[in-house]
Amino acid sequence: MKIWKLLGLAALVTAAATVLLTTTTASAGGKESQTLVWWHNVTQGPGVKLYKDIAAEFQKQHPGITIKAVPLQNEQFKTKIPIALQSDSPPDVFQSWGGGGLVDQQKAGKVADLTKYVKPWIKSIGGTAAGWQVNGKQYAVPYSVGVVGFWYNKQLFKQAGIASAPKTWPQFLAAVAKLKQAGITPIAIGSKDEWPDAFYWDYLATKLCSKPVMQSSAVTYNFGNPCWTKAGEYVQRLLDAGPFQNGFLATPAQQGASSSAGLVANGKAAMELQGHWNPGVMQALTPENKVPSFLGWFPFPNVPGSKAIPGSLLGGGDGYACSWKAPQPACAQFLAYIDSPSVQRRVGSTGFGLPVRKGTENSVKDPNLRTVLKFRSTSPFIQLYLDQAYSAAIGQALNGAIAKQFAGKATPAQVVAQIEAAAKKK
Amino acid sequence: MSRAQSRAGSTAPFANVPVYVVALLLTVIVLVPIGFVVLGGFRTTGQIAADPVGLPDPWVTHNYVSVLTSSAFWRQLGNSMIVAAIATGLVVTVSAMAAYPLSRMQFRGREALFVFFTFGLLFPVAVAALPLYLLLRQLGLLESLLGVALPEAAFAIPITIIILRPFMRAIPAELEDAAAMDGCGRFGFFLLVLVPLSQPALVTVTILSVILSWNNFILPLLVLTDPGKWTLPLGVAQYSSEHSADTAAILAFTTLSMVPALLFFLAAQRRIVGGLSGAVKG
Amino acid sequence: MTTLDGSTAGRAEARPAVVRHRRRWLELGVFLAPAIALYVVFLIVPVVQAVRYSTYDWNGLGALSDYVGLDNYREAFGDPAFRQAMEHNGILVVLSLVFQLPLALGVALVLNRRMRGRGLLRVIFFAPYVLSEAITAVIFLQLLQPDGLVDEVLRGMGLGALVQLWLADLGLVFYTLFVVITWKYIGFAIILFLAGLQGVPDELHEAAAMDGASSWQSLRLVTLPLLGPTIRIWAFLAIIGSIQLFDIVWIMTLGGPAGASSTMATYMVDQGVNSYRIGYATSVAVILFAVCFVFSILYQVFVLRRDVRGGTTRMAG
Repeated sequence: MKIWKLLGLAALVTAAATVLLTTTTASAGGKESQTLVWWHNVTQGPGVKLYKDIAAEFQKQHPGITIKAVPLQNEQFKTKIPIALQSDSPPDVFQSWGGGGLVDQQKAGKVADLTKYVKPWIKSIGGTAAGWQVNGKQYAVPYSVGVVGFWYNKQLFKQAGIASAPKTWPQFLAAVAKLKQAGITPIAIGSKDEWPDAFYWDYLATKLCSKPVMQSSAVTYNFGNPCWTKAGEYVQRLLDAGPFQNGFLATPAQQGASSSAGLVANGKAAMELQGHWNPGVMQALTPENKVPSFLGWFPFPNVPGSKAIPGSLLGGGDGYACSWKAPQPACAQFLAYIDSPSVQRRVGSTGFGLPVRKGTENSVKDPNLRTVLKFRSTSPFIQLYLDQAYSAAIGQALNGAIAKQFAGKATPAQVVAQIEAAAKKK
Repeated sequence: MSRAQSRAGSTAPFANVPVYVVALLLTVIVLVPIGFVVLGGFRTTGQIAADPVGLPDPWVTHNYVSVLTSSAFWRQLGNSMIVAAIATGLVVTVSAMAAYPLSRMQFRGREALFVFFTFGLLFPVAVAALPLYLLLRQLGLLESLLGVALPEAAFAIPITIIILRPFMRAIPAELEDAAAMDGCGRFGFFLLVLVPLSQPALVTVTILSVILSWNNFILPLLVLTDPGKWTLPLGVAQYSSEHSADTAAILAFTTLSMVPALLFFLAAQRRIVGGLSGAVKG
Repeated sequence: MTTLDGSTAGRAEARPAVVRHRRRWLELGVFLAPAIALYVVFLIVPVVQAVRYSTYDWNGLGALSDYVGLDNYREAFGDPAFRQAMEHNGILVVLSLVFQLPLALGVALVLNRRMRGRGLLRVIFFAPYVLSEAITAVIFLQLLQPDGLVDEVLRGMGLGALVQLWLADLGLVFYTLFVVITWKYIGFAIILFLAGLQGVPDELHEAAAMDGASSWQSLRLVTLPLLGPTIRIWAFLAIIGSIQLFDIVWIMTLGGPAGASSTMATYMVDQGVNSYRIGYATSVAVILFAVCFVFSILYQVFVLRRDVRGGTTRMAG
C-alpha cells in the first residue's frame, strides 16, 4: 500500500510542477495572446483562398493576435447576427453593409466607434467611407464597393440590331423592344428574392429625385415628393413592356443555372440589372466555370429632364464592423489590414470585389469590372441601395411593396403609400 | 397485438384489379420525386440540364464518391446521430415516466397537467428562438450538441406523451393488482410490467423522435456556428449554396443525407402500426 | 402475507394513511419531475419570455425598450398581409380535410387487403414523411422549374396544355404547395388509418354481408364509424399542422410571390428575421398559439370527448 501512496504523491507533484512551469513560462514569455473572432460570408468563389491568406498573414505580422475565421452563409447572417449581438460574447469582427442597419446597431451600442483608430488612413478610401458612418463617425469600414448596372450579352444585342448600349431611358425602352422582336428574352430578373426588383425602383428614384431628396429620405423618411410616385410610374412602363423571362416571379437571383444570373450566363437572356458581384456568380453557373466572353456592362440610363444629377448611381458594398466588446486596437488593426494596399490589390486581382483603396484600381483585371470601377470613382453621387440605406423594417417593407408592383398587385401610388405606412410605425 | 394478426386482410369491399392499378399509380407518384433525386446523383449537371427526365447515361459516380469521401459529410452525420440519440433517449425516458401517472394514477390536477404538456405542440419553435438562445448561452450550452438535444427533447415531449398515454391506459388494471400482490411497488410495476408491454408505443415514439431530431434545422442553426459541430440539415443547406450551380452534386448530397433516416425507419417500421393503433383506440 | 423481501407492499392496511399519502406524492413527483423540469426550462420559460417581447416594439438589438402594450396585436389584425396569411391557413385546413382524408382513407382501405408486397407499399408511402422538409422543398423546386421534370412529363404524356407556371403564377402557387404538402404528409395519414383499420373485426363485415349489405354500405355503416376515433385524431394533428405550416413554404417560395403563398408562420418569420421586428413577430406567434389553443380546446370538448369516454371503441377493443 505504502509504495502506491508514494508513487501517487510523486505523480501528483510532477503534474503540479509541470502545470506550474508551463503556465509561468507562458505568461513570462510574450504579452497575452488576443483572439479575434471573424464572422464573414465568403463561402465560395475566389474569396475563399484570399480570406485564408489574409488571416494567415495578419497573424504572422501580429504574433500576439489569433484570427478565428467563421464563414457563414449570407442568408444565415441576418438570423445569427442580431442574436449574437444580444449575447455577451458576440463575434469581434463581422460583415456590415452600412446604412440603416449600421445605424440601428450603433443606436443599440453594439458597434465600436473606430474614428480615432482609422484616422491615419481613412482618407485613402475616399468617398466610400461615408456609407459606413453614423453621424459623421466611422463605425465600420468598407473593403469592396461597387455600383449596380446592366450586365449584358454583346452578341445578343448585335443580333437584335442594337448598335450601342442605351444611354437614356427612352433608348433603353427601345432596345428592350428590339430584343423582344428578335425573339430574345430582354431582361432576366430574380424576383423571388425581391431585392432585384427593388434595384429598378431604387434606380429610377435616384435618376428622378434630386440628391437632397434622396439623402434626406434616409433621415426623415418623408416620401411626399412627387418624384417617388414618378419612379413607380416609370417602372410600370417597363413592366408593361413584358421584358422579363417566363415565370420570373419565382426565379431566384443566384441559385442554380435557372436563376436570373444563370440565364444570362448561359445566353438565355440579354441582360440583368445587378451589382458588381455578378461576374463571380455567373462564372460558377456556367458549365466551363468561366465568365462568359460575350459579357459587357453599361450604366443605368439617365432620365432626360429630371432633377437628378446625370450620372448618379445606385451602389453599395461590403465592410466590416467591430463589436463593442472586440479588443482594441487589435480589431481596428485587422480592419486596417483588410484595407491595406496589398490586400486591396488582391481583392481586385482575384475578381473577388472592387477595392476601395485609392491607387489599387488597376489591380482589377476583368475589363467589365474596370468599367464599373471607373464609373464608381467618377460618379457625382452614389446612393446606397434603399433597403440598406433605410432601417431594416422600412427597407423590407419597401422591397415587399415593389415586389407587389412587379406581381401586378400594387400601383405606383400604393407602393409609396406602403413605404410611408411602414415608416410611420417607427 | 393478436388482434392485429387476425386482421391481416379484409375481403370487403373492392374488387381486385382496380385496387392494384390504383396502388401502382400512387406508388409511382410517391416514388418519382425520390427517384429523381437518387438517380440525379448519378448524372452530371450537364446531363440534367440537357434532359431533365432521362436516365443516367453514362452512369457517373463522382458525385456520390466526392460526398462519401468528404470528412465534412461524415462529421455532420456523426453529429446528427449523437444529437438524435441524446434527444430521443431523453424524451422517451422522461415522457414514459410522466405518462405513467398521467394515464394510470388518480390525482388532483392530472388533466390540467396533461393539457399543460400539450401546449408545447401549439407553439412554433421559431418564436422561442431568441430567448432560447440567451438561455442556452447562460447555461453555457452554446456550440454544444447537448445544447441542441435538450431543447429538441423538450419540444418533443408533448407529442410523445400524447401517444404514450392512451396506450399505457389500455393495459388492464388486473396486471397492476397482480404486481402489487407480488410485492412490486410502483417503480417495479413501471419497469417490469408497463414498459415491456408498451413496447409498440415506445418504439413508435422513438421513431418519431428520431425523425424529428434528424430533420431539425432551426435549433442547430441557432446553437451551432462552428462547422465542425454542424448536423446534416445545416450541411445540406451549406452544400446547396456552395454548389448551387452543380445540381447533380446537390442531388447526391441530398440523397446521402436521406439514407440514414430511411434505413432507420425501414428497420423499425413494423412497430409503428402497432404503436399507433393503441394510441388511436384510447 | 409477507413477501420474500419482507416488505408489506400491496397491503393497504399495513401503513398509516398519512405515510401512504406522502409516499404516493413522492412517487408521483419522481415520475413527473424529469419531464416537467425539461419541459419548463427549455420550452415554457423561453416561450413566456417571447410573449413578454410581444408587448414591445423591439428590434432585437440593445435592451428591451419601447413598451407598446397590445399595439402589436392591433397592428397584426389590421394588416392586410397578415389577414391574407390567415386566409391561406384557413384554405389549407379545408383542403386538407376535403382532399387528404378521402385519399388517405382510400389508400389505407386498399392496403388493408391481403395483397403481395403490402409491407413494402407501407414503407414506400411513409418514406416522404421521413424526409426533412428542407429536402422535400429542394426536390420539388427542381421538379417544378419551368420546363423541368413535371413539365416534361406532362408534355410527354400529351398533356402539354396543362403546363403552368407552378410557382410563379399568383393564383396557382398556393395550390402547388398544397400538392407538395400532401405528398409529404399523406403517408402519416395512411399509416394512422391502417392502424385504425386493424381494430375493425372481419366478423362485422361478414355479418353485414350476411344481412345483405353491399360493399359500399358495409364501408359506410361498419368501417367508417369504427374508424371514427382515428379520423378525429388525424384531423386534429392535420389542422394543427396546417395552422403552423412553415418550412416547406419558406424554402420553396418565401411566402411569395408577393405574399401569394404566405402562411401566418412565414409572415411571422419574415417580420422577425428580415425586418428585425422581434416584438411584432412574437405577437404574431402568440396569435398563432392562441388560434391553435382555442381550436384545440374546442376540438377536445366537442369532438374527442366521445372517444375518450369509450363509446364505440369498447366494442372493438
